Amino acid sequence: MEILRLAISIAAITFVGYNILYLPIFKKGGLPLPEKLFISYGAGLGFLSLEMLLFYFIKAKFSLKAIFIPWAPLFIANAVPFRLLRRSQGIAAWLLAMTDRVIARTKSEAIHEASRGCRRQPQRSLRYRALKIFLIFGITFEILYALFRALIKPIESYDAIAIYAIKSKIFYLAGSIPQGFFRGLARAFPHPDYPLNIPLSQTLIYLSLGNLNDQLVKLIFPLFFIGILVMLYFSIRRFASQAYALLFTFILASVPQFNAYAANAYLDLPLAYYCFASSLALFSWLEDKKKTQSLILSAIMAGLAGWTKNEGLMYCAINILLIAIYFVSERNRTVEPRAHTLERNPATEGRPEQMRGANGVAREVIGAGAVYIGIVSIISLPWALIKRSANLVNADIASGGFIPTGILQEASHKIAPIIYEFQKQFFGPKKWNILWPIILLALVFNYKKIFSGITKYITMSLLFAVLGYIFFYLASPVEINYFLSRTWSRFIIHFLPMVIYLAAYLMKEELDI
Amino acid sequence: MAGGPLKKKVFAVIFAVWIALWASFIMRELFRKGYFHDYKALLSRGLEGKQSYVTGDRFYEFLTFCNANLPKGATFNFVGVEEGSIDIRRAVYYLYPRLENADPEFILVYDASDARKAGYERYLKLDDRRYILKKRRP
Repeated sequence: MEILRLAISIAAITFVGYNILYLPIFKKGGLPLPEKLFISYGAGLGFLSLEMLLFYFIKAKFSLKAIFIPWAPLFIANAVPFRLLRRSQGIAAWLLAMTDRVIARTKSEAIHEASRGCRRQPQRSLRYRALKIFLIFGITFEILYALFRALIKPIESYDAIAIYAIKSKIFYLAGSIPQGFFRGLARAFPHPDYPLNIPLSQTLIYLSLGNLNDQLVKLIFPLFFIGILVMLYFSIRRFASQAYALLFTFILASVPQFNAYAANAYLDLPLAYYCFASSLALFSWLEDKKKTQSLILSAIMAGLAGWTKNEGLMYCAINILLIAIYFVSERNRTVEPRAHTLERNPATEGRPEQMRGANGVAREVIGAGAVYIGIVSIISLPWALIKRSANLVNADIASGGFIPTGILQEASHKIAPIIYEFQKQFFGPKKWNILWPIILLALVFNYKKIFSGITKYITMSLLFAVLGYIFFYLASPVEINYFLSRTWSRFIIHFLPMVIYLAAYLMKEELDI
Repeated sequence: MAGGPLKKKVFAVIFAVWIALWASFIMRELFRKGYFHDYKALLSRGLEGKQSYVTGDRFYEFLTFCNANLPKGATFNFVGVEEGSIDIRRAVYYLYPRLENADPEFILVYDASDARKAGYERYLKLDDRRYILKKRRP
């Protein structure tokens, strides 16, 4: 019975996420159903937990009705176009239309892939089929193993229990976020400043189960793991064959550290999920700026990354920085200004074409940047208000030891331990298998590609992420060896899916399967 | 597979190494690290049994005893459990809505036979090494 309730609650969360994203993103097409479902799952959890946070402002109690009913108008609004379509065409006509759309999409995909020189139908040899079967088996095994490891025991690892599970227990037992919680009780536990996406999501699952089952609630973590694998697979499928996409999906799934974090109820994997979804959508938009839905999706997922862990805010900043860099570096290449813009702007009249293009680009950067910052701000605002009003500050910053300006002095004695920890992870097969030597080889053999075209933005996003973490290591007052040994192998998880995606992108011509 | 024969061989070797390490790490985890034994034990237990197993049966028994005998909202502190340890964090989680406090109403003594503190008296005991001290009323 509990399992059924759990399944229904996960379906309901995904349904809410789907409906929120339907009009701005999914309706415009371009994403396969499994990817849509797993994006909806993460978005559903994020938005429902944000809604639960808003209950704190209106002093409302949690209940399933109170949480789900406010979304009902959205379901109705999304259902109306379907009903109209069915009435006007009838079910058969609707099915026909759907079939036509699928065929048209498959054709356009084939043309698109052919234009990229991608071999979609490689030799159907026995070895090729055996490889595919093996990879599917490997991925299935890793998914089942992650589910098993997550569900075999209740929440018990350090941060999971000390920081997150205790909060979800408090909220569940109180039936709300108790008034005054952030100024009082929250300070009795470590890191009161950490965002509440996952603790509130856990509370939502407890409400659905009707009890505090801290074993079944762990299902949310391997679902993030599966979500990342699904997104990786379909993103690689856009430029490569099925076997190729399966190969890189298997590689990610079988990284020991990555799989372990799918089961221990830490938030590094959920953060990786939001960051990866956000980055993929951003690169999709950078490739084709007509895909405004990708820009919106990227901003939503970046905002939810910030609502999951404080590090998520760094990824928001990186994405905004990438948009700015893109327009600065591409402005001279953009030669097609918008006609109406030119006609109505006397300042650009009579100037060279390039200058007019630059003005159009400037408008686009402001527009895209404003949309991005606007969405991230809306999502971040409620938690930022609470943090400000309750003066919830990171313990390191509150202690006065966090000195961003003093990093040059800190660098002299901290850089050696940082390099040592980096090489320890690089040559550490117990956590990473031989992933990092493979990645290094891929980068060396493709050094010309990593800073060309769209690839350079993927490379830059990874570089900025690593530099961001190094900055925090240098600025933090925590003893460097202790800090590194406790965090770096977890921080890598945040950008690991993007590293695998970059490797797949770089090697697509060399590893032709 | 397509591609140059040398490249194909290199990729095949790398893939074989990956698979070999992948399989060996899973085996190592299951058997050398003892996860298989844990999973076998956990499979036969219900939720509370699992909570007891991961916390340590003996410690969990004491926490259950404390839960049953301390009033909700009471404050406590531990003697005999390392400060900041995972055991403390688990205890704080399982004992909520009782709260850890530096000046507590109750001191929970775990694995210490003659723990004494000024201003506290014996309240309840589970056995000679696991008991609760209560603050004396002024």
